[in-house]
Formats: sequence, C-alpha cells, structure tokens
Amino acid sequence: MKILPLILKNLLRKKTRSALTIASIVLPLFVICLLGTLLRALEADPSGGKGMYRLIVRHKVSITNWLPGAYDPKIRTLPGVTEAVRMQWFGGAYIDQSAKNQFARFSVTDVDRFLRVYDEVSVVEGSEADWVGDRSGLLVGRQLMKRYGWRLGQKVSFKGDIYPITLELTVRAVFAGPDESGVYFHHAAIEEALPRVKGYVGWYWLKTASVADTERIPRQIDAMFENSSAPTRTETEKEFQSMWVSMLGNVKLLVGSITTIIGVVILLIAANTMAMAARERVTEIAVLRVLGFTKEKVLGLVLGESFALSMIGGGLGLGLFVLLLPGFREGLVNSPMGAFAAGIRLFPEVLALGFGVTFAVGLLAGLVPAVRSAQRPITEGLRQVA
Amino acid sequence: MLSIPLKYNVRNLFVRKVTTSLTVLGIALVVAVFLCVMALGEGLATVFTASGSEKNVLVLRQNSQSELQSGISRDQAPLVKALPGIEKDADGKPLVSAELVVVLNLDKRDGGSSNVTLRGVEEKGMALRPGMRITEGRAFVPGTSEVVVAESVARRFKGAEVGQEIRFGAYRWKVVGHFDAGGTAPDSEIWTDTEGMLNTFQRGGYSSILARTTDRAARDQLVAALAGDARLALDGKVERAYYDEQTATAAPIRFLGVFVGVVMAIGACFGAMNTMYAAVSARTREIATLRALGFSRLSILVSFVLESVALALLGGVAGCALAFLLVKLALSGVTGTTNFATFAEVVFAFRLTPALLLTGIVFSLVMGFFGGLFPAGRAAFTKITAALRQVG
Repeated sequence: MKILPLILKNLLRKKTRSALTIASIVLPLFVICLLGTLLRALEADPSGGKGMYRLIVRHKVSITNWLPGAYDPKIRTLPGVTEAVRMQWFGGAYIDQSAKNQFARFSVTDVDRFLRVYDEVSVVEGSEADWVGDRSGLLVGRQLMKRYGWRLGQKVSFKGDIYPITLELTVRAVFAGPDESGVYFHHAAIEEALPRVKGYVGWYWLKTASVADTERIPRQIDAMFENSSAPTRTETEKEFQSMWVSMLGNVKLLVGSITTIIGVVILLIAANTMAMAARERVTEIAVLRVLGFTKEKVLGLVLGESFALSMIGGGLGLGLFVLLLPGFREGLVNSPMGAFAAGIRLFPEVLALGFGVTFAVGLLAGLVPAVRSAQRPITEGLRQVA
Repeated sequence: MLSIPLKYNVRNLFVRKVTTSLTVLGIALVVAVFLCVMALGEGLATVFTASGSEKNVLVLRQNSQSELQSGISRDQAPLVKALPGIEKDADGKPLVSAELVVVLNLDKRDGGSSNVTLRGVEEKGMALRPGMRITEGRAFVPGTSEVVVAESVARRFKGAEVGQEIRFGAYRWKVVGHFDAGGTAPDSEIWTDTEGMLNTFQRGGYSSILARTTDRAARDQLVAALAGDARLALDGKVERAYYDEQTATAAPIRFLGVFVGVVMAIGACFGAMNTMYAAVSARTREIATLRALGFSRLSILVSFVLESVALALLGGVAGCALAFLLVKLALSGVTGTTNFATFAEVVFAFRLTPALLLTGIVFSLVMGFFGGLFPAGRAAFTKITAALRQVG
C-alpha cells in the first residue's frame, strides 16, 4: 500500500485539529518572514549598488555640527573624486509636525551637480534645468507627489524648526528612483532668509571613480582637516547608513531573538498535535504492524503527517507573506519610515528562512512521536485501551 | 444548577501531562516575549515620564521642538534670567542655567557608534535637577575642559572612565567624575560648563535656558511673559511637558510588542484550542455520563471553559516568571536607542512593572477563554445517547 494516501487520510480524520494546527503555523510564520525582511531591509542598500562609489563627509563630532562650505574646492579636486555636492538637513514641518506629515527635506548648495552624484534617480516630470534655474525650485520624489497630490508649479511651504524661517517653494521637477520620499531645494533659499548660515553645510556627498578610491579617499580627506577647527569623518554611504541602524541600538538582537522564540512556539504547537495524534493511534499502528508494515514505514507515516502539516501551514504562511508584502511596503512608503521602505524587497534569503523553519518544525515535531510509534512492541500496542 | 467541581478540570489537566505542558510552555513563551518587549518600551518611556519637573520652565526658540534645534543668543539670556517668578537659591542667586547641547558621535564598547548629548550647564545646572549626584570622582571645574559622565553612558561608551580623555580631533575633555540621575534624562548625557563649551565650539549662543519658578502661578506667569514678548521670539515650556512629548520615542517598540504579542497569541490560542478539543473528544463518554447524571449544558460549558482558562493561567504565570527572571538576570543592564527628537542616545533599562505582569496574566486568560470556548461548546452539545453508545 502507498504511504502518501494514508498520510492524507490521517490528516483529514480530525479536520478541526489539522486546520487549527495549520492556522497556528500560518500567522507566526508570516511574522517571522516580516521580521526577517525588516532586519534585511535595515542592512539593505536602497541605492541599488550606486552607493558603493559614494562617500559622505561630515563633521567629526556628529552630523548635527556643520562644516565650512569652503572645503569644497579641496575635496572636489582630489584625484579619484569625480563629483561632489554640499548638502544640509532642513527638517522643519509641512502642514504640522505629526507623524503622517514627516518626510526628509534637504537643501543642496550645488544644485547643478546634484543629479550627477545622486545618479540612480531620473527626472520624470518637469526638468532638471527648471529646478536648477529657479532659486525657490523644489525637486520632489514621485511617491511624495502622489501622496500629497502636488502638481508642477505648485507652491509648497515648509516651516523651519532648526532655522527660524518659513520657506515658500515651487515644485519644478519630479524624480523617480529607489527612494522617492524626499524633497530637495536650493540652499540659497535658506541663505536669503537667514544670511548668518551662509558658508556652512551639513555634509559633502561625493562620487568616486572606483571602489578602490572609496577606501583611500576617506583617509586622505580626514587627514587633510584633522587639525582644523572642523575635523571631518568620511565614510562610505553604506557605513553612514549603518550608523543610523547602530543608533537604534540592539534592534537586530531584539528582532532576532523574537524571531527565534516564535519559531520555538510554532514547534511546540505542532509537536503537541503530533503527540496527540500518535497517542490516539497506538492500537491502530499495532494493527498496521501486524498487517506487515515495517518499523520504517510507521516512522515514515507519522513523520510524513507532521511534514504535511507544517508544509501546508508554512506554504500558506509564505504565500500570505508574498501576497501582503507589496501592500505592507506601500503602507510604509507613505509613513515617516518612507526612506526605510525603499530597502524592502522580497528577499530570497527570507523565503529560505521561512522554508527552513517550516522544514525544521515538520521534522522536530514529528520525530519523538514517530520514533516512539515505530519502536513500541506490537503486543503492547494491541493491549492498550484508548 | 449543579456545577461541576473545579477539581475535576484541574485533575484532567494533570492526567495529560505531555499535552498540558507543551501547551503551557507555548503560552508561557508568548506571554514572556510580549512582556519583555513591553518592558523595553516601558523602560524607555519611564526615562521621559520620570524626567523634568513641574516647577521648571525650559526656554527654547519659537517653533523649536527640541533643545538641539533651538538657539538663544547671548544678549537674550540676561533678559530671560531677569524675568519675574524665578526662584532664588539659598545663596540668593536665581535658579537658572543657560545651557548648550551638542551631539557627540562616540564609539560604543560593543562596536559601532552612537550620538551622545554633551551638555554645558551653568552653576545651578545640577541644583535644577533634583536627584542628581556625583557617584565617582568630582564635579568639573568651570573653564577647564573637564566633564562628568553619566554612569550608564560610561558603561556603554569607550574612553569615559574617570581619568580618561574624550578626544575629537582638536577637542579634548578630561573625565573627572561620574554621576547618576536616577533613571532620568541626564543619565544619557555628558556634562561640562557652558562657557567652556561656547568657546570650544565657537558658538555665539545657547541652546536653551532652564529656570526654576517659585510656584505654579509664577510658572504660568513666566510662560506667559515669554509668549508675550515678541522681541525675544522665545517659547517657555514646562519641563515636564517637554519630556512628555518625547515619550513618542517608545511608540515603535510598544507597537512591535503589541503586534508580535497579538499575532503570537492567536497562534497560541489555536494551540490551546487543539488541546481542549483533544481533551473533549477523549472524554465524550464521560461528558455524556455527566449529562445523564443531570448536569446542565451550561455547567458543562462553564466547566470546560474554566479548564481551558486554568490551562492558560498556568502558562501565563509561567510566562510572567520567565519574563521576570529574564529581566532580572539576563536583561538587567542598561541599553540604549536614539531619541530622534534630540538626535542622541537615550540610555535606559528594562522595566517590568506589576501592571505589566498583570497585563501578561490577563493576556493569557483571554487566550484561554477563546481557546476553550468552541471545544467547550462541542462538549456541551454532545448527544447523550450517541456518546454513551460510543466505544473507546
């Protein structure tokens, strides 16, 4: 007799129990995949590899200290630096300070060179020249345009918090790229309203000719300004991003341990089901053995049932995850964590993790009941009254 | 109505040892995870709710959300300090401190780096924060580039032991002492004197001014005086309220706790349901006998729901114990995350409060109730004749 149909029949005997076990695997597995994706996205590179050639020069004390804008010629003329722009964080508020109206607002000193550094994006509406030519011009991410329903030529005002000014800007161009959740405008717009900030920048963003340059140039730049009144710290874009993750604290450890414990909980639930199923069938298994089923077949029968349960549950959980991920990402794009959402993709390693957990649960949950069923002497099994 | 004694259910739980303990363990883990994450959120929120006094007024530039964004020029400071309502210390000087905050990017002991607030304070800075005391070394001498470091910062960052030096290119600060602020905001900071810091960083003004008022009326008067002075363009905030606004930092962690907790609870609920269905189906004849003896459907329903609730309660208690041990033994140290309002690290400890533990128990009872409801329903509506005839 084939073993597979028997496994399926066994699964269908207690429909409620099988359904409940499967359901109790689906949701936790979904959460495991989601948490795994968040972890991977924290480490992901949203620039799609372009950031490998880019460096960020900031004040050594911290990003909140400003650098003199006069470093520009020295940095730009270094061999290996192909382009550099000066940038600043404006912050402030659009409409109000509430979480739903948070998005990144940057000013750029060297607007004409900006898209040569930020080269993974392309202007899809309006034109770069329009933005560069208008001192109150605004370059907006496509996603943000959609979120607020802005149009080209629309006036937008940002109320400053770091800077005691309100900026009136005009949407001149829209860009598309991996992260479409920010706006960029001329630093001149801030300088006009607040002359005292003239000559200061938040950081330099530069592009290098090769990956080898990204190792050499940071040391060169930092050595150049080591003993000045504004020493620098130069990092690759990747290192700069990992600083933000590191600032969050032990997020990785926290999310990692939660994921592990969820895995253990699924295992307990599945193991419980299998233990119950095996216990109820002690007599039945003895009869099968009398009919000529080998120990190995019995082992396969119980393990197979356990695998079938976890595979169905795991499959549904993974399917649910794959279905809901785009929606989840969409929801996150329009939140204050928009820039982070850009890093969220369907990571193959997360699917592998989900599959691995499913496999492990199937194996471990069925192992003890299967071995015990196979090893129990026939006579003892037949004697038992359920 | 005759009710079935609770003992019947409790004994039944012990008959099926393996199933019961697997289910209890599952529920315990869910409760423990939920509690640990919530304890993290609670610890973080406590830093803010415990910080700041009702009597202190924090003066910031208009529209500034945090000290880091604010700026107060040197000539504005004497005008603010001269405003009425500010309390005098025993020595007759006003309890007020013009302060400067700068964020330093320091290397952590366990790798990586994070931002720490360096705060310049004036003479009365410490008197304005009750509960602060020097635990090692001494206070800094103004004008000497000396700093005192919060104990919890010293434990997490390199080079912050007494006698060591915090260096930054041309900047150097000598660590002369450690302090403890009883779990409030300064516990995440490094302190030095304002004048020295203004020189070091070549700043033309302060970040904020903190002032103690004599009473509530004086406080409201000071806040109103600041709001009414268009020339100054400053805002006065009650210090307590300023920190309350920052509790939002703990929101994502709490969200994670509730989200993971609820999803896992649904999973564990199904697990409990499974156990209860098995318990019911194994006892079909027994239940029919009870019915034949005259126990009503309702009393059987109640009895089985109680059994499930008892099962979950065991898990809940075990989960609370597990979380308690974890927080006491493994997670007793301080940890940190960045407060994105101040752009600097907040150092805090896990805090498992009695209220949280109670939440954990209630959480498990809810799981038990819903896990037991349907199986109990099945038990209550067992057909007596069919069930009695059933073999095995």
